[in-house]
Amino acid sequence: MQAPFRLSGMRRGVSKMKLHCFERTFFHSSSSLTPIQLPSPMETHLWYVKPSEVKSGSLLNQYLDILPPCERENVLQMRGEELRKSALLARALVRTTIARYQINSHSNPRSLKFRKNLHGKPEVQWQFRDDQHPPPLHFNISHTTSLVACGVTTNAQIGIDVEEKHRSIKHNILSFARRYFSKHEVQFLAAISDPQVQRMEFIKLWTLKEAYVKALGKGFSGAPFKTFTIRFKGVMEGGFNTLEDLSPKASEIVVDSFDDLADLTSNWQFSLLELANSHYAAICTEKHGAGSDEGKRNAPGKLTVWKTVPFLEDECVSGTAAVKIICGVQ
Amino acid sequence: MASFTASSVSFSAVSCSFKQNKVSSLGKGSLSFSGNGSPSRRLPALRFRVSCAAKPETVNKVVDIVRKQLALPADRDVSGESKFATLGADSLDTVEIVMGLEEEFGISVEEESAQSITTVQDAADLIEKLLEKK
Repeated sequence: MQAPFRLSGMRRGVSKMKLHCFERTFFHSSSSLTPIQLPSPMETHLWYVKPSEVKSGSLLNQYLDILPPCERENVLQMRGEELRKSALLARALVRTTIARYQINSHSNPRSLKFRKNLHGKPEVQWQFRDDQHPPPLHFNISHTTSLVACGVTTNAQIGIDVEEKHRSIKHNILSFARRYFSKHEVQFLAAISDPQVQRMEFIKLWTLKEAYVKALGKGFSGAPFKTFTIRFKGVMEGGFNTLEDLSPKASEIVVDSFDDLADLTSNWQFSLLELANSHYAAICTEKHGAGSDEGKRNAPGKLTVWKTVPFLEDECVSGTAAVKIICGVQ
Repeated sequence: MASFTASSVSFSAVSCSFKQNKVSSLGKGSLSFSGNGSPSRRLPALRFRVSCAAKPETVNKVVDIVRKQLALPADRDVSGESKFATLGADSLDTVEIVMGLEEEFGISVEEESAQSITTVQDAADLIEKLLEKK
C-alpha cells in the first residue's frame, strides 16, 4: 500500500519525506491529543507504544516534526532503521504524553523543553512565570526496539525500565550476578534450578534495579547495583520459598541499601508488570507520607496503563491481558 | 609539527576522552602552525581525532566485543568514534560489554569509569589506562 517509511541517516536537517495521504484526516499536533488530568499523588500513569504497530509514514513524519533540531539529529544519528524508529517514538511519546496533561495550558508537544539534571536524568524545563511554582509532574522513559514506555507521577520521583522477556543474556547469569548484583540477589538466583526461569527472574531483577537507580536520579555510579538488594518480601524471610509462593497479593518488592541511613529505602515502592505479553516493566516511585506510620504500611498505589499511538489512538489497557501485574500495585 | 596539550585546544564533538594531559601525536589532518599566525592556515577546530594511548589492537578487540554483544550486522560500520548508544546499546548491553572487556583484558572497571564510557575509543583508552596500572 505505501512504501516503507525510511529514516535516512542524514545529519543535516530532515530529509524531504513524501507525505502519504490517507483517508484519515491529517491531524494537527496539539489538537489530537486527548487531554488528561495529572495522576493523584498515590497514582502512576504508564503510557506505551509498540513500534511494530506504527507503520504510517505520515505519522512518523508528524513525530519528527514536533522535535527540536537537536533531538531530530539524535534520532537520525542512530545506526539502523529499527533504532531510529524507536528513538523517534521515545521522543514523540514523552512529548505527546506530557502535553496531554496541559500543564499551565501548555498543550503543544513541540514547545516543551527538556534538560538533564546534574547526574544526567532528563527532566522538563518548565517555562513558568516568577509567581508560579514548578509543576509537580515527574516522568521517566525507557525503551527497547520493540516497546517504548513513559511513566508519569505527581509529586513523586519515578524511574521505569522495560526489557524484552526473551532477551538473551550473553554472559552466564550467575557470573554476571556475582559481578554486579548483591550477595542476597545472587543467592536468590542461584537457588533457581531451571535456566529459563533463572534468566527471566534475572531480567525482572535487572528491570527493578534499573528502575530504582533511575528513580533516584543519581546515575549508574550514584547507586552501584552491588550496594543494594531488591527482594520479594515474603520470600527471603525465613528461608527461600518456592516461586509458586510468590503471589502478587502476598508479596511486595522492597529495597535494602547497605550504605543507606535508616528508613530512606522505605521511601520507595515498586511494581513489576508483564506488558503486552512480551516485556517486563518495573516502576519505582517515591512513597508519600513516608514519615508517618500510615505511609510506611505499604498501601499499594494505583496504576493506569494506556497503549497509545500518539495523535492516532489511545487505549486504556489496565485490567486487560496486556497488563499482567506480577507484584506491587492494584 | 606542533604538539598541543589538551588544555590549549577546545573540542566539542571529539570521541576521545581527555584523561591524559599529553597528546603525543595528531591523527587525521596535518596541522602546521606558523609563528606569525599566517591567515592561510586555520585550526580545524572540531573534527580531527587525536590519537591517545590506545593501540589499534585494543580498539579492534573492543569493536569485536561490541559487535558480538549487540549482534550487529556485518555491514554495520564500527570504529573508535562509534558511540555505544547510537549502535543501540542500552544499559544492560553496556554493562555486558564492560564485563566482556574485563574478562578479555583481565581488568576491573569501577562504576564511575563505566559510566563515563560513551564511545569505543573511550573504552579502549580506559582499558589501556587500567592495564598500565597493573
